[in-house]
Amino acid sequence: MTAHMRQFGTLLGLILIIVFFTVNLPDTFLTARNLINVSQQISMLAVVAFTMTIVMVMNDFDLSVGSMASLSGIVAAVLFSMGYPIWVGVGGALLAGLVGGLFNGFLVAVIGILPFVATLGTLTIFSGTAFLISDGRTIFGRDIPAGFSGFARSGIPLDTIGLEGLKLPYLTITGVIVLLLVWIILEQMNFGRRLYAIGGNIEATRLSGIKVKRLRMGAFALTGIGAAIAGLMYASRVASANPTQGAGLMLDAIAAVFLGMTMGKEGEPRVLATLVGVLILGILDNGLTQMKVDSYIREILIGAIVIAAVATSALGRRR
Amino acid sequence: MPSTLSFNGLRKSYGGAPALSDVSLTLAPGRVHALVGENGAGKSTLIKLIAGVVPADTMTVTKDGAPITLNSAGDALAAGFRFIHQELNIVPQLSVAENILLGQPGATRYGLFVDWKALSQKANSALAELGIDDIDVRVHAGGLGVGDQMLVKIASALVRDEGAEAPGLYVFDEPTAALSDTESEKLFDVIERLKKDGAAILYVSHRLGEIMQICDDVTVLRNGAHVITTPIADTSRDEIVHQMTGRELMDGYPPRIQSIGANPVCAAKNISSAKLDQINFTLRDGEILGVAGLSDCGQTEILRLFLGLERALAGSLTFNTSAAPRNPVQAWQRGVAYVPRERRSEGLMMTLGVRQNTLLPHYRGLFANRRAEIEKTRGLETDVKLKAVGPDQVVHELSGGNQQKVVFAKAIAKNPRLLLLDEPTRGVDVGAKFEIYSLIRHLSEGGCSVIMSSSDLPELIGMCDRILILHAGRQYDIIEPQGMQPGDLLATFYDHHKTSELP
Amino acid sequence: MKKLALAMVALGLTASVSVAETVTLITPYLAQPGTQMYVQGFEAEAKAAGWDLNVIDTAGDVAAVISRIEDAANQNVDAIVINVDPAQVAAGLQVAADAGIPVIGMDSGTDPLLVTNVTSNGYGMATETSVYVANRIAGQGNVVMFVFDAFPPVQIRGVIADAIFGNYPDIEVIDRITPDVQDGGIADSRAKMEALLAANPEAGSIAAVWAAWDQPALGALQAIEDAGRADEGIVIVGIDANPQARDAIAAGGGFEASVAQDFIGIGSATAAAVARAMAGEEIKASVTYVPTRLITAANVNE
Repeated sequence: MTAHMRQFGTLLGLILIIVFFTVNLPDTFLTARNLINVSQQISMLAVVAFTMTIVMVMNDFDLSVGSMASLSGIVAAVLFSMGYPIWVGVGGALLAGLVGGLFNGFLVAVIGILPFVATLGTLTIFSGTAFLISDGRTIFGRDIPAGFSGFARSGIPLDTIGLEGLKLPYLTITGVIVLLLVWIILEQMNFGRRLYAIGGNIEATRLSGIKVKRLRMGAFALTGIGAAIAGLMYASRVASANPTQGAGLMLDAIAAVFLGMTMGKEGEPRVLATLVGVLILGILDNGLTQMKVDSYIREILIGAIVIAAVATSALGRRR
Repeated sequence: MPSTLSFNGLRKSYGGAPALSDVSLTLAPGRVHALVGENGAGKSTLIKLIAGVVPADTMTVTKDGAPITLNSAGDALAAGFRFIHQELNIVPQLSVAENILLGQPGATRYGLFVDWKALSQKANSALAELGIDDIDVRVHAGGLGVGDQMLVKIASALVRDEGAEAPGLYVFDEPTAALSDTESEKLFDVIERLKKDGAAILYVSHRLGEIMQICDDVTVLRNGAHVITTPIADTSRDEIVHQMTGRELMDGYPPRIQSIGANPVCAAKNISSAKLDQINFTLRDGEILGVAGLSDCGQTEILRLFLGLERALAGSLTFNTSAAPRNPVQAWQRGVAYVPRERRSEGLMMTLGVRQNTLLPHYRGLFANRRAEIEKTRGLETDVKLKAVGPDQVVHELSGGNQQKVVFAKAIAKNPRLLLLDEPTRGVDVGAKFEIYSLIRHLSEGGCSVIMSSSDLPELIGMCDRILILHAGRQYDIIEPQGMQPGDLLATFYDHHKTSELP
Repeated sequence: MKKLALAMVALGLTASVSVAETVTLITPYLAQPGTQMYVQGFEAEAKAAGWDLNVIDTAGDVAAVISRIEDAANQNVDAIVINVDPAQVAAGLQVAADAGIPVIGMDSGTDPLLVTNVTSNGYGMATETSVYVANRIAGQGNVVMFVFDAFPPVQIRGVIADAIFGNYPDIEVIDRITPDVQDGGIADSRAKMEALLAANPEAGSIAAVWAAWDQPALGALQAIEDAGRADEGIVIVGIDANPQARDAIAAGGGFEASVAQDFIGIGSATAAAVARAMAGEEIKASVTYVPTRLITAANVNE
């Protein structure tokens, strides 16, 4: 009973937050337009947080996702500015994510550096690379093809289901697809279950004949690709690429996974729980803005809520 | 002043299920009181109540008739209770002296710098109280053997403020589970000393032999209820087992019925590694080879040869007529299964369910097949006689014996050709032990070869067809143990000392 | 008579509250002193006009600016003010445009979706300091430039300086440094300058330091003074004339000139533009310039 309270406390919190904003913002919060807005606004954070969940399942960490997101945007934009078509830019960015992620995995799994240290190092490497290949400039304007920036501004029209003039943004759809893929990988595939085993006890997993190194590299590669996808979404949304623009994603993504972990039966990360964490952060941002709460107070509130949720869960677990 | 401690009417339920129902216990000064029972009988719960770490539903505690409160670990400490657990919590990076004085206000110079000299003196005097003079308090504690680490832990329990009363109660929770026989003997000497100093001692163990040897009284628990309390002199080993299990002692070890096969399954020829020297044996199908010696003499390394974790530097190692596996991945694929020594740190994912633990090495294909897995897990649970709520019960909720059965279920799930067992019954109660022995025998009769390392000598004699004796990684002898006494086997560990001392 | 006047004022106040226009101001850069002054100038005017103003800082996150524009459009505010490169938030501007909400740039950049952008003339400011340097060193010598091309308003300053120095055959730009600005720009600029001083040990080998904003100029000043080369007469100039730069200029050392933008003035001019836009007036100029002023020892204390 209490275990359930603890497990679902965070979900309850989300519901309370939604109720609170619905009451206080009766005209503008719980509207189709606003909800679609929120879904689009959180989509980049969501993609990073979903794929971050993959490494956190193994008790690992990836601090480099933010700078990887920046780098991926820069790679795509630089390729665009050199006249390459969209698919080359997007492919190059995803390749950067894959290679960067594999490199993280190599450092952590093969060399044996603590993930915190390894990805702190690659954080600055990726960031420096982004500055280097962009000359520190923001790449925007004519360099960014309309087809690329148009992606973030379009969606599937919802007129047919009675929402006149609204569309389901492609960014939202991308987030949902990534969620689905990560869910399948972690919950339905043996790959994911082996990752959970690594998180449960890496030594026992190794002694059970599991290819721990290869799995860890694979997981980090997926996280890298996720960061690259988020970077592309971000670049598309701001129709430009700046070598620092993804920096804010990392902390929020980790916060979202931690919020989600409070819902795990044994405190383990689950991607659907991460979604709840992302929704809490995104809805707070949206609702508090609408209520004109000062942005600094908003930051304090969000930090306090993350700590409160994790603390409640830790206290609940102690018994 | 030595005092008599009485714990009366101990009751505790977890979620409606009684773990302990109205158990009372009186501990007299200068007596060693054994607490025995199968896993799940309520021993751990009882200790947790006494330690104040879990609130009792009901409990009255008196010290020489005067009531005392036990609501927290601090209360227990203040009451003079000290707890020595099987899972050592020493800090390996710190020196022995620092470990002994951990949690004490440290001796300092000018209130700022550690006074190493005073620290060493205090630590040495704590060890001297136990009659120990062969541990250097300046070395880092992680470098000590498990037995010495335990003694360090006891010494640290002895340390107290100047003029404070000596601890009145020591609770030992399976202290010998990880100790070799010599180390255990050393521990028994220390216990004898504490007893002479007038402390009451509560001694929890599965090893009835040592209980008969060192304890004065015994209390038997079964299913959370008190069965009997009696002086050891008035009872016998068989009687205790009967009281614990509610059944007669089975003759210890299931006998071999089928004879060993003719085909060699694996062989070591002149193997040397970082830790091993001149290892030679051939194992035929269905044969059980024991590996024995003083603690940490290379037993684990011999098992790990066949997992590719211990690299042979010289010699040849074969498995199924080809080169032995080079890593655990190949090993499991080729039918080698491993039950490691440390259940918690090497064997199990404690936060995951039985199903994920047992089937981890056996996942095939891209996607999980839940239904087939549950079916398979249910079958394995029956095979190893696992008592669990269901195939997805989280492993840390199981008792030690049942956790070990999960490790076994994982090992036997794919009918291994070679089973490597490192301390297969460590921390397992008598009933579960017999079930594990039957399982090993059953597998071996089915043609699976077994290499098992154990510090439980009767177990080695009862189960093994041959025993390889090691000293310091070097193969001393391979003996056939049939009809041997544990003492004879123990003697072979020391033979080697004698020969090596000769010019 | 007086009573009547008071009553009318009170009536006017209540009336203005009941129909208060809502304005949302969004910036990722509120932590920066200049931005704070824009906002201050804007807030003063907004208060006087009785607007219901919401100031939002996204703490450096540009995509969040888009999100907040969407939120504001969703609430159907009367006007939106942004302080970020409009090209990067075009997605949000489109949403606002679709909702018929005017968006005014406050030192942001030019964009067809903006009613107007209120700013200082960056080209002009860079011209003033570059020409000041060229004249002070009599058209010859080695010049070190501190630039930051990632931020368009600063990038254009560098372009002008490049052109002016390039026009003097005897001026050589020996390095064009982009400092790391994560710590504010002073510390890293100082480190970069120290390295350059070490590489050019002879007196006179560096004639001037031109910085696209004040922080690198201050870092360079510290490096030069600490290297004991303050007496070589290396001319240092910055742009923005922040309080620290004014102190340095007043002290009479190598830091000789900077250009003061009228930040408060930009804020109030933005408010004026907002008022005009909300009143339905069409503003033709896509950029509205607010005058700047060269600050030297002569006028620093005014």
